Amino acid sequence: MLTSLVIDFPVLASIAITLITVACYQLAVNQQQKWQTIWLNPMLITITVLVPLLLFVDINYQEYSQATYVLNLMLEPAIVALGFPLYQQLRQIKVHWREIMSILVLGIIVVIIVSFIMAMTFIKAPEIAIALSLKSVTTPIGITLTEQLSGDSSITTFAILIAGLFGALLGPAWLRTIGVNSAKAQGLAIGSASHVIGTAVLVRVSAEHGAYSSVALILSALLTALISPWLIPLLLQLFT
Amino acid sequence: MKNTLYTLFAISISLLLGKLAHHLLAGLPASLYGMVIYAIFLQLNWFSAKKVTATNQWLVRHMGVCFVPAGVGVINHFQLIQEHGVALIAIIFSSTFILLTVIGYLSERLLTKPVPNDENSSEGKT
Repeated sequence: MLTSLVIDFPVLASIAITLITVACYQLAVNQQQKWQTIWLNPMLITITVLVPLLLFVDINYQEYSQATYVLNLMLEPAIVALGFPLYQQLRQIKVHWREIMSILVLGIIVVIIVSFIMAMTFIKAPEIAIALSLKSVTTPIGITLTEQLSGDSSITTFAILIAGLFGALLGPAWLRTIGVNSAKAQGLAIGSASHVIGTAVLVRVSAEHGAYSSVALILSALLTALISPWLIPLLLQLFT
Repeated sequence: MKNTLYTLFAISISLLLGKLAHHLLAGLPASLYGMVIYAIFLQLNWFSAKKVTATNQWLVRHMGVCFVPAGVGVINHFQLIQEHGVALIAIIFSSTFILLTVIGYLSERLLTKPVPNDENSSEGKT
């Protein structure tokens, strides 16, 4: 595996591509700190710069993904590091665990039903409806569940990514607009709608935001895995 | 430097145990098990929260860059968007906002009651 990786794509090119990615990201971080606007989200900026660039120099996604292998390798430890803000808020979270569980269960049921019905109404394909219903969890869980329920998992991957970016970028502003200002509520909402992408953005705001977002991320994944295998077949029956 | 190594060691141990948990229990991905294990070990004081604070904060501040490769993956889905048009994006967009609204609104209502102050609750906070 590793040898094919090295032969497939030259080492120097890989280093260059990784450096461009990191440099672009860091530049966006600096600009965002200067201008303080959500549109300069470093993740979004880096992706919007890189996609046309890759198309222009004719590097396909597989090659890019191999070249930035190092970043992918750091993804798992970075997610583990979210355990620290979680630990900091553990006491507060324990006090509210019943409310948190009920809110998340309700939210998950609502989002599965709404996504499924909208997809069946406008696109009329069950495999897409299943995929879209499972977009509010972290990618590995979403893919596993979609395949288990015979949905189209390439759509799940895309939908999870877009839901992550939408929620991370626009979520905080939207929540403030509807009067949701506490770190707890913002954290739970964004963690459950935008999983780990939302959490990565939110943890920069405060440790409390990050902790609640991490809790929502973990519990949503678990609860969706428990709820979807009976809720989705039920919805399928209603529509076919 | 010593604390940086300590933090990386603590995270690696948690991740390895997370992988083991994923292997044995399936369910959550290994990294999420690792996150929970890391939080528990910090709580039990098996890992020193004091020693991991600085490096951990640095890691968490910069973790966004690790998601860029996954994000660039949209490049593979242009055809998907062409096929299903704006409906796909519109559904993802609106259902995400409905979820944000439901959870945000209920949490704001139910969780912002004042919590009885525990004397130890400030322990480990930054």
